Amino acid sequence: MASDGGSSSLQLPCVFSPKSRQYLAVCAQDGRLRIWNTDSKTINQEYVPSAHLSATCTCIAWGPCRTVKEGPQRKKRKSEAVQVEEKADLLAMGTAAGSVLLYSTAKGTLHCSLDEAHSAGVNCVHWHPEDSVLYSGSDDTNIVEWDLQSGKMRSKWKADRAAVTSLCVSPDGKLLLSAGHVIKMWDLDTKELYRKFTGHSTAVTTLRFATTRPPDSNGLYFVSGAAHDRLISVWQVREDGKDKNSVVSFTLTDEPRHVDLVPSNSKEEAVRLAVVCQDGQLHLFEHFLNGPCKKPFSPSCSVQMADTRESPMPIPMLAAVLGRDSRSVLLAYGNHLQPVIEQVEVNTTERHVCLSRDVKTSLSLTMESTVSKVKTPVVNTKSKVLVPGLPGHQAPLKGSHLEKASEKRKKDTKEMSIAEQLGEIDLSATSSEKVKASLQTDNYAVLLVQGLESNDADILNKVLQTRKEMVIKKTVARLPLSAVLPLVKELTNRLQGHPFAGILMVRWLKAVLMHHTSYLASLPDLVTELGVLYHMIESRVKMFHKLTKLHGKLYLLMTHVATSDSSNMVSEVDHTAKLVYEDESSDENEASGDEVLPEEDSDHWEEEEGMEEDKQSSEEEDEGNRTEPKANGEEDMEHENESEEE
Amino acid sequence: MASYKPTNIPVYPKLGEKVTEETLYWKNYKTPIQIKEFGAVSNIHFSPVTPYNFAVTAFTRIHLYGLLSQEPVKTFTRFKDTAYCGRFRSDGQLLVAGCEDSVVRLFDVSGKVALRMFKGHTKAVHVTDFTSDRYQILTGSDDYTCCLWDIPNSAQLNTYQEHTDYIRCGVTSQLNRDLFVTGSYDHSLKVFDARVDKSVMTINHGHPVESLLLYPSEGLLVSAGGRYVRVWDLLKGGQPLVSLKNHHKTVTCLALSSNGQRLLSGSLDRHVKVYNTTSYKVVHNFDYPAAILSLALAPEDESIVVGMTNSILSIKHRKPSEEAKETAGHQRRRPSYRVYAHRKSYVPKQDDYLVSKPVRQHLAKYDKQLKKFNVSKALDTALETWIRGRKPEITVAVIRELDRRGTLKNALAGRDEQELSRLLSFLIANLVDARFAPVLITAAEMILDIYQSIIGQSPVVDKQLLHLQSLLERELDYQKDLLEVLGMLDTMFASSLPKIELPCSGISTSNGLPQGQSTASRPQVQVN
Repeated sequence: MASDGGSSSLQLPCVFSPKSRQYLAVCAQDGRLRIWNTDSKTINQEYVPSAHLSATCTCIAWGPCRTVKEGPQRKKRKSEAVQVEEKADLLAMGTAAGSVLLYSTAKGTLHCSLDEAHSAGVNCVHWHPEDSVLYSGSDDTNIVEWDLQSGKMRSKWKADRAAVTSLCVSPDGKLLLSAGHVIKMWDLDTKELYRKFTGHSTAVTTLRFATTRPPDSNGLYFVSGAAHDRLISVWQVREDGKDKNSVVSFTLTDEPRHVDLVPSNSKEEAVRLAVVCQDGQLHLFEHFLNGPCKKPFSPSCSVQMADTRESPMPIPMLAAVLGRDSRSVLLAYGNHLQPVIEQVEVNTTERHVCLSRDVKTSLSLTMESTVSKVKTPVVNTKSKVLVPGLPGHQAPLKGSHLEKASEKRKKDTKEMSIAEQLGEIDLSATSSEKVKASLQTDNYAVLLVQGLESNDADILNKVLQTRKEMVIKKTVARLPLSAVLPLVKELTNRLQGHPFAGILMVRWLKAVLMHHTSYLASLPDLVTELGVLYHMIESRVKMFHKLTKLHGKLYLLMTHVATSDSSNMVSEVDHTAKLVYEDESSDENEASGDEVLPEEDSDHWEEEEGMEEDKQSSEEEDEGNRTEPKANGEEDMEHENESEEE
Repeated sequence: MASYKPTNIPVYPKLGEKVTEETLYWKNYKTPIQIKEFGAVSNIHFSPVTPYNFAVTAFTRIHLYGLLSQEPVKTFTRFKDTAYCGRFRSDGQLLVAGCEDSVVRLFDVSGKVALRMFKGHTKAVHVTDFTSDRYQILTGSDDYTCCLWDIPNSAQLNTYQEHTDYIRCGVTSQLNRDLFVTGSYDHSLKVFDARVDKSVMTINHGHPVESLLLYPSEGLLVSAGGRYVRVWDLLKGGQPLVSLKNHHKTVTCLALSSNGQRLLSGSLDRHVKVYNTTSYKVVHNFDYPAAILSLALAPEDESIVVGMTNSILSIKHRKPSEEAKETAGHQRRRPSYRVYAHRKSYVPKQDDYLVSKPVRQHLAKYDKQLKKFNVSKALDTALETWIRGRKPEITVAVIRELDRRGTLKNALAGRDEQELSRLLSFLIANLVDARFAPVLITAAEMILDIYQSIIGQSPVVDKQLLHLQSLLERELDYQKDLLEVLGMLDTMFASSLPKIELPCSGISTSNGLPQGQSTASRPQVQVN
């Protein structure tokens, strides 16, 4: 749960605001955008970009910092210039439905929405560092340039044969990098292709310029990271055009998820790179970019994080940004729903650093009380909220011509079936107030009623095999009265089977009996309706007594076998000791003449024992001897029980 | 000499599951033949004359299949776009089909090229049918109109513009050549009479109408749309008779069994339901792998043909009936039968002393062994794989018989690892079954008593014992839960105590359980 297993399939965007790092924007699994204040470590704003999960936010980018005046002034996060009063305000979000949303943190509302340019999901958004221009790349293979003054599309061009997965504008704002099948560099003035770089076989997820401004002609570098690739490649843009291969590569332990980079302004300044990998580790690199180097670099420092329990579990890191000096790093770790933000000083002389932190793994949703500005979901009027309860509706299809564009590379994470969407919804998290707001909570009840009406085994299995107690209770509580008796009948059928399945059904039955007591009791033909169930249970429970005894018997035997297995060789010693004890006791307590026989018996026994030991000390004999006294004891027990019964 | 009495195998009724004649009838089909078509199968229609070929409309083609062939016997491909509703004329000679390009085409079943093309609609034509006089064609289209066409002149006779949405289904009366019914997405059904040029009856279905069906008597009309199947009485002016809601998705197709006694409905929820047309209860249910778009029954219910959205056509043929099998068997046996015939026909006279020939008793394998007192072998035969897998009650009955004779211990003893593990696996599979538990628990206790000395020697047996132990643990947990439920039920019954006296005796007989159990339960109920 805590180590967000879902993120392997889809990358959840998680970005720090530029410059002052005052905010962390996280888009979590539940489709909400949360903005955390890094100083107070509290949630600052919450926003739901869309009402349904098929149009979740796929990428976020903070706009350049703005002063009170209109118009962006500084570029994003790369500049080292000090200007304290500037605040990051606008946040661009690309959605899976193909629209780009601009969210204003100052106003706390949606600033505007940029629609109708992409026919498929947006993969990446990137701000121009100086002009109020935004670039977005999409699954439909196009790049769109947006004019933010007017909120209109300025130009649009086909960038690649495959989906555009990543974008980056150069610090001077003249060049644009895009990644599809190959990495392409565009001249932004003419929108013409400037360079092509081939090297990654999988989708490129990260692109960053590593140098601000080319001091000389060959000084422009950029880095790239791709899905399933355990390295970051550095590319040099050379004047002579001989830049086919990457010049340097940095090795990672897993595929990169979040990359932060402090670019170098001159040849003498090292590039600093912080990479958070899929496995939750942070790697720090420092490198002087001066031409190619064959050998891949390993990180100058790797940081891991573990919790403080007895058997430490790793805590995944979500994002990291480098501070001004080489040692401080701002980290976000833990769960996407509730990340922990911390400023850490890393000792870069050591190659491996492991930090231990106490993170509450259980989610406390009470955090929301401290929220300063939580916004209710803004549902686009055009978008249609689909309720699974209505029959015969289709899955949401905003871009219906989507299949045409996505012939080459299909995204399998976009459309979800109703069953999967149901799986996403955790009923246990919904409080009673929320029931009215979101219609989707009573899905299971609707599904169950449908299943009972049409007697569909698939649906019934899906619903009835839930293990969550809460879901069962809520579903039963919402069940219409007409469906109660069919459900009881269905449960009666299912109770007859194996105990593994039966245990789940009993939970349902109990919930039904508890929630609908008065309804059931008011039925005039209650006895006939529930009689079958009653007799079925009764006939099954009849053997409870005997079964318990059998189980006890078996338990005793098996535990003894287990102990004898564990102490193979020692058991011999034990054994002899026991026998000696018995001898003595019989001698001391009953010294009468009657007890000659047992004495002989025991003597005889010991002789035998000795002989056996002489012959062979295998376990077989050993166990044969050991189990006999046990069996006697058991018979005694049985007799006792029987006498009790009678 | 006292004859050996074979072991009595008790019949255990399984609760809840009723085996009726209906289920037997509808289960009596072979495994389906699946044929991949080029697109979603939108319509299936059986030819009314022998050899009962059927036309399957899928994507831009209509295939004609023979009743038993798995290859199309004929294909009509002259469609510019998706074809709809390929239907035979009542003489099986002509076939009409609509198309997405709004042209209605008429084919000779033996030819390839369209005999007539009826152009006049402006949008896709989803409904086509012949009138009962065979000379006219009814069409319904997405342009909200339905038309009558004359076949010989290929002329448009009349147009009806009464619907306000797509017309997606329609039927013509087989008794009156001027009468037809159309159903539309505007939720209404309209009955038209060609003689008066307008609709004579309008019925509101309440949902977009997907399919229509007229009973052979034509007094009743069945419509399907949304999740509902509704039956209307036409003779009473369209009075609603029944409304059925047994699907959880849109019902797309209807069919009537050959004798008119059963109504079938297919739906997007992948089920085909069979209704009894007198009680309108669901009597059977078929499951299919994908959403169902079309459904047809062969004459005499010989086969069920279903078309699905995943472009698969599924054909189920009826198994040859048992009568046919028996007659075939008789034919083979006839010569020997003839030899003995005259002896059997001999009628004994009054004075004759009749010596009846002892009937030879056929004994099952395990009974033979039991008769010879080979107890171990009897148990072995009862534990044969197919018996213990398919008919555990036989195995249990043999164990009970051995127990009754007091020789169960002997039968269980002296087994090697393999046989013991076979016994144990049988126990694991059936011990928790309430029907077998009393017998098997004694057997399990005996096994433990006999073999406790060798526990720990064989990893296989140990593993199975551990398995048995965990199973028992589960079962005990489960029964504890069940006991709690029992308590709840007791409380509930107690609250409705005054009415309990009469109905209680009713149940004890109705659910087929032995009388002892129900009487045992009654005191408890009353105490509470």
